[in-house]
Formats: sequence, structure tokens, C-alpha cells
Amino acid sequence: MRGAKRHRDRIGTACAVMTAVVAAAFLAMAAVLVVRAWGAVGPGFLFDPSSRVADRAGIGPALAGTLWLAVLTAAFAFPVGVGTAVYLEEYAPRTGLAAVVGGAVANLAGVPSVVYGVAGLALFVRGMGMGPTLLAGGCTLAALALPTVIVTARTAIRAVPRGLREAAFSLGATRWQVVRGQVLPAAAPGIVTGSCAAFTRAAGEAAPLLVLGAVSFMTFAPRTPADPLTSLPTQVFAWSARSQQDFAAVAAGAGVALLLLLLAMNLVARAVHRRVQGVSP
Amino acid sequence: MSDSSSERAAVPVLAAEDLTVRFGRRTALANVAIAVPRGRVVSVIGPSGGGKTTLLRAFNRLNELTPGVATTGTVRFNGVDLHGDEVDPVEVRRRIGMVFQQATLFPRSIFDNVAFGPRAGGYGGDLLELVEEVLDAVGLWSEVAEDPDRPAMQLSAGQQQRLCIARTLALRPEVLLLDEPTSALDPAATARIESLIHALRGDYTIVLATHGRRQAARLSDFTAYLAGGELIEYGPTEALFTNPRDRRTESYLTGRIA
Repeated sequence: MRGAKRHRDRIGTACAVMTAVVAAAFLAMAAVLVVRAWGAVGPGFLFDPSSRVADRAGIGPALAGTLWLAVLTAAFAFPVGVGTAVYLEEYAPRTGLAAVVGGAVANLAGVPSVVYGVAGLALFVRGMGMGPTLLAGGCTLAALALPTVIVTARTAIRAVPRGLREAAFSLGATRWQVVRGQVLPAAAPGIVTGSCAAFTRAAGEAAPLLVLGAVSFMTFAPRTPADPLTSLPTQVFAWSARSQQDFAAVAAGAGVALLLLLLAMNLVARAVHRRVQGVSP
Repeated sequence: MSDSSSERAAVPVLAAEDLTVRFGRRTALANVAIAVPRGRVVSVIGPSGGGKTTLLRAFNRLNELTPGVATTGTVRFNGVDLHGDEVDPVEVRRRIGMVFQQATLFPRSIFDNVAFGPRAGGYGGDLLELVEEVLDAVGLWSEVAEDPDRPAMQLSAGQQQRLCIARTLALRPEVLLLDEPTSALDPAATARIESLIHALRGDYTIVLATHGRRQAARLSDFTAYLAGGELIEYGPTEALFTNPRDRRTESYLTGRIA
């Protein structure tokens, strides 16, 4: 008994140490970025366009581009993903084509993001003639996020207790009334959390956007989805690839901005989650 | 269906013939034949896993929601084949209401729980009036009248089960299927449900699956003994309890089979 307890204590201590190591690593990473960015970041950094002179370079267009991409990604991937998940879980037969498709979707979540870039270049930029625009970027990132949205939404829908469905059916509800009235509200917190995680990940992607032809030097902030494709991650990449030392500091500053933006997106997701859970209609 | 009411009374509300239900390789019901007369209480007794729940769920076509189920034989509702092409399972479930063993409330207000069924069915009347009426019928209105908009989950277990019955009554069904409605309740809450069932008899045809032999004896006009998916014996409750024809029924009633 005593031995077992001591043993468990030791495991607990080990876990605490590991947690501390992880926390320290993250803090160190953030600290390095902030220290490197210090001085390079002036008052206009958030809103100014890029510049050939590091001192005057800002992330205005890149920041606006990433916000556009996040909105477009969510607008495309959320309805399509949740709709697919509802169909696969509630309507489609358990065997046959739909089951095969469902299994294939899960595997798509593991495809490297750069591959989505190659496909997006062929399909959206060239095939559909969108060119290297924010719209093409949003479509590509939506395709990237879609498998994750579908998988997490399916998991959330499957976790809804069977009793809830049967009670609704036994009260003379049609399948859609059961889905709309009981299943979706009960699954909403899980769907929202999973989807937001997928969108946040997509918003931080650089590789697929670089393949699409993201612009790293824009003099104005994009105003419509038809404007040229630019984003914070690709901006960070472009600046850190330059040889001048000064741009390394600007890249770090943009990195901090990206980090804060994704953090903010997570906080928004949590707020939405809490709201959805609290007022579950 | 027949026109005259006397003929209608002669037709059993529910009648199963040669009903077999399989889940994959497991046979839950085997060649069951049973007729439920109008306005009476029929209790279904028997050991766990004997097929009580499956029989009730066959009566409102709930079994078909379970993947891998196979049903053969016929179930007639007022003489009409429940599995006929023109029969809509949604309509069937509106006319044959069901209450489950575990009170499965929706995570919403008391009002919304009762209103769910009528709303789903496109109820055109005064919802508030209907909700009050059925909550009153189960003796719940006086307990929740001051705030029917509070979460249903705040009710006690016994109140929750009565709310489930009220929710089903709001469909204005002909039949109530009650699947062990008191097995999760304490004796006081059980007594309330039993007196409620007693009060509802006559207005509704009631099929009551129960673990309690004494509950069946107290409440029902007819009793069916179901074990291993087989209908062992079915007859007037008093006759079945005092003078069972089958030895297996006798063993169960005397407690030699759990």
C-alpha cells in the first residue's frame, strides 16, 4: 500500500517537472521573439505596409490578409463540414459508399498542408481562374480545415446520448427535427471547439499559401477577397528569408503578432463555446 | 378499418402475430403473438433481457432505429399493419407514445420538454393551455406552476418521470407504452406513478413493462410473461397470478427465477 502510494507520488512529481519544462520552453520561445522584435516594432508596425527599409516595415496588409483568410476559411469549411458530419452520422447508411467516404475523410486530415497548396494552385488559382487571391487562399485553407471539422463534428454528434435521440423520435419528431432540435444543440459545444481549433491551425499555415503565390510586399491592405493573397505567416517567412539582420527583428515582431492573433482566436473560440454550452436552447 | 364503434371496440388496439425481432445474431423476440385490448392495462413481466423492451419498441417502430435489426411477422395497430408501405413511422409514434425506464429529459425548460412533441407535430392550438393540462394530469402543475420555464433537470427523479409521461400525453396518443417507468425511483415516487397509471386507465390503452410482479398484479387487467424472447403465457392478470397454466410462469411468479 505504502509502496504503491510512494510510487504514485513519484509519478506525480515527474509529471509536474515535465509540465514545468513545457511551460518554460514556451515562455523562453515567446521571450526570444519579443526580445528580438524589441526596437524593430514602432508605433505604426501594426498598420503600416511593408517597406524596403526594415525600420519602416509594418504588417498592416499581412494582418488584414490573415483576418480575411480566417473569415473565409470559417465561412466555407464550417457549413460544409458540419453538414457532411450530420449526413454521415445521422442519414447515411452504415455500410457502402458513404462509410467509405467517411473513412477517407479521416485520412485526409493527415495530408501535409503543402499538398493542399499544390492542389489549390491547380484547382482554384488556375482551374477556376481565381488567380493568387485571398479567395483562392480561403478556399485552399478551407479544404485543409475541412477534414478536421468533419471528424470533430462527427465525434461530437456521436457523443450525443442515444436516449436523447430516442426520446425525441418517440415524441413523433422527424429525423430532421431530432437533429435540429436535440442532436445539434447537444453537440454544438464540441463542434464549435473542434472547428475553431481547425480554423486557428489553418490561419497559421504558410506553406500552402506560398505555393499558391502569396505576395510578401504589398503597399495597401486588402479590402475584398479578390485582392492579392497575403498573410502574416507568409510575411514572417519572407522576412526571415532575407539576408539583412534588421529584417530578422521585423520577422520576430510579425511572429509575436501572429502568436497573439492566434491566442485571441482561441479566446474567442472559448467564449463562443461557453456561450453555446450555457444557453444550450 | 371498421365504422361502427362496437366493431372498433372488438378490434384489438395492438396485435402482434408471429413477431420475431433479431439484433444481428441475437434473437430478442421469437414468434410472439399478443393482442392488446382497447382501454385496458396490459403488463409485460419477465426477467431482464427477456424481450420486454423489444416488444414495447416493436409497438412504436423504435427498434428500426437500431442498426442491424431485422423484424419479421406483423404488428397491427387498429387492424392496420404497422409496417405497411403507406404507414409513416413518425405518425405511428405520435399515436403510440412511449416513456422510457430512465427519464430522458431534454436539457431545456419544463415547458419546452412538454412542448417539443406538439411543436414537432405542428400543433395549432394554445400550447400554454396544453402544457398546463397535461402537467396537471400527472399532478405536476401545482408543483411547477410558478416557474415552468426553469430547467427540467432541476426536478426530482420522480417529477422527471412524471414530466416524461406528461410530455407523451401532450401528443394525445391512443396508446401509452411504459417501459419500467418506476424501476429507477424510490417507493414514494413509485407510488405516485402507480396511482397515475391507475388514473389514466380507460382513457388510454396502456402497455406496462415491469420488473415488479406485484406492480403488475396491482395495475393491470392482463399480464404477459415473456422470457428468453418467448411469450410463455398471456391472460387475465388474476388468472395468471393465481393459477398459471405454464410451469415456467409459476416458477417466475414464486420467485424461483429472478
